[in-house]
Amino acid sequence: MSADLTTTLVVNGRTVTRTAGAHLSLLRWLRDVADVLDPKYACGEGVCGACAVLVDGEPVSSCIVLAAQVDGARVTTAAGLTGPGGELSPLQRAFHEHHAAQCGFCTPGMLICATAMLADGMTRTRDEIRHELHGNLCRCTGYQQVVDAIEAAQGAAQGAAQGAAQGIPP
Amino acid sequence: MLQGSARPLEYLVPADVAEAAAMKAAGALVLAGGTDVYPTHVGRPIARPIVDIAGLDALKGIEVTHDGYRLGALARWSEVAAANLAPRFDALRAAAREVGAIQVQNAGTIGGNLCTASPAADGVPNLLTLDASVELTSPSSRRVLPLEGFLTGYRSTALGDDELLTAVLIPRGGDDARATFLKLGLRRYLVISVVMVSAVIDFDERGRVREARVAVGACSPVAQRLRALEADLRGKPADSLEEVVAPAHLAELTPIDDVRATADYRRRAAATLVGRALAACGRDR
Repeated sequence: MSADLTTTLVVNGRTVTRTAGAHLSLLRWLRDVADVLDPKYACGEGVCGACAVLVDGEPVSSCIVLAAQVDGARVTTAAGLTGPGGELSPLQRAFHEHHAAQCGFCTPGMLICATAMLADGMTRTRDEIRHELHGNLCRCTGYQQVVDAIEAAQGAAQGAAQGAAQGIPP
Repeated sequence: MLQGSARPLEYLVPADVAEAAAMKAAGALVLAGGTDVYPTHVGRPIARPIVDIAGLDALKGIEVTHDGYRLGALARWSEVAAANLAPRFDALRAAAREVGAIQVQNAGTIGGNLCTASPAADGVPNLLTLDASVELTSPSSRRVLPLEGFLTGYRSTALGDDELLTAVLIPRGGDDARATFLKLGLRRYLVISVVMVSAVIDFDERGRVREARVAVGACSPVAQRLRALEADLRGKPADSLEEVVAPAHLAELTPIDDVRATADYRRRAAATLVGRALAACGRDR
């Protein structure tokens, strides 16, 4: 089962066309074929959230989606939240300021799911933030600083998050 | 949406349900949301063609029909959770918010949950208490089976080789019934259920049970309705339902010892959760 399939995705605003194995997951397509390395492979079964990306604005676990299934879609990874000149989104800046990453492996997925969470512009309590982030596991810093960062960024992140959720680079 | 020019046999995109069913009959693996397909192939290739049914519009959407509700097999958990449904669907909607995480709820489908037929499938007890049926479609025929008849055992269903599950059908009536779903896991989130309970209780004007439907999941190869309990609940006042539950009502459950809990613990937890679910429905009336 190695026959190849041509798939085109708009990754972080850039149109990428690649021919690769027809059964590749979106995560493998991004990392191994398109050289987009910020979504991480960890559990491989849709539990940990390290591979989360936005597909047409919705967070999905890219390890359990076929690249072919989302042919033509707009895909936003954590790197796509950064502006064209390298400026951080308000959420990324808040993660930096609150030291919300230690090893950093869960961070791309955290940023993606938090971006989707904040896209509606609502202000959430810490408990609500924790609840909505339950699909993202961190095994080193703990979640305190992540929640601190998201709490600080909500409101400030609103505009940029909405743009990103629509696949528009901020 | 699909625009690749190469279309190898390993990845099949059917034009309609009949073609998809024919591809499945020829040996292809059906892929909808993918949330069960990939986890069962970690570290090994999918060694047969995939038929991707996610683009079939006929399998999408949640709609009210003359006979009741029709949930397309491709209805995703996030759609079920957000759908504007009657109170009797509250337990199903609660379960929709407990299936994996948001990323999984955005991909996983109600049809996939039923076809995988895990004993711990969160959708199943809640669809049993809604008296759900499933619509099965082959290239040449269509049939409707009660969900209880569709689920035949541990990860086993009555789905024919040339059939697709195309919709979940919920009959009309009792929309104002109270519904509760309780799930016990080893942590709050991202867990496979140790025990789960769904209760849908229709009360009359005097606050007595007109009809009760109660199901327990993860305590037998297939989630089960507790029909003896349902019969004993009939006519009981809303504030006394928890007291009706007796050990004999759970005698048909066959829980197992596994890494998550012992059979004895499961049986006791099931009794406790059934009582709590009934009490919650009574309070909510």
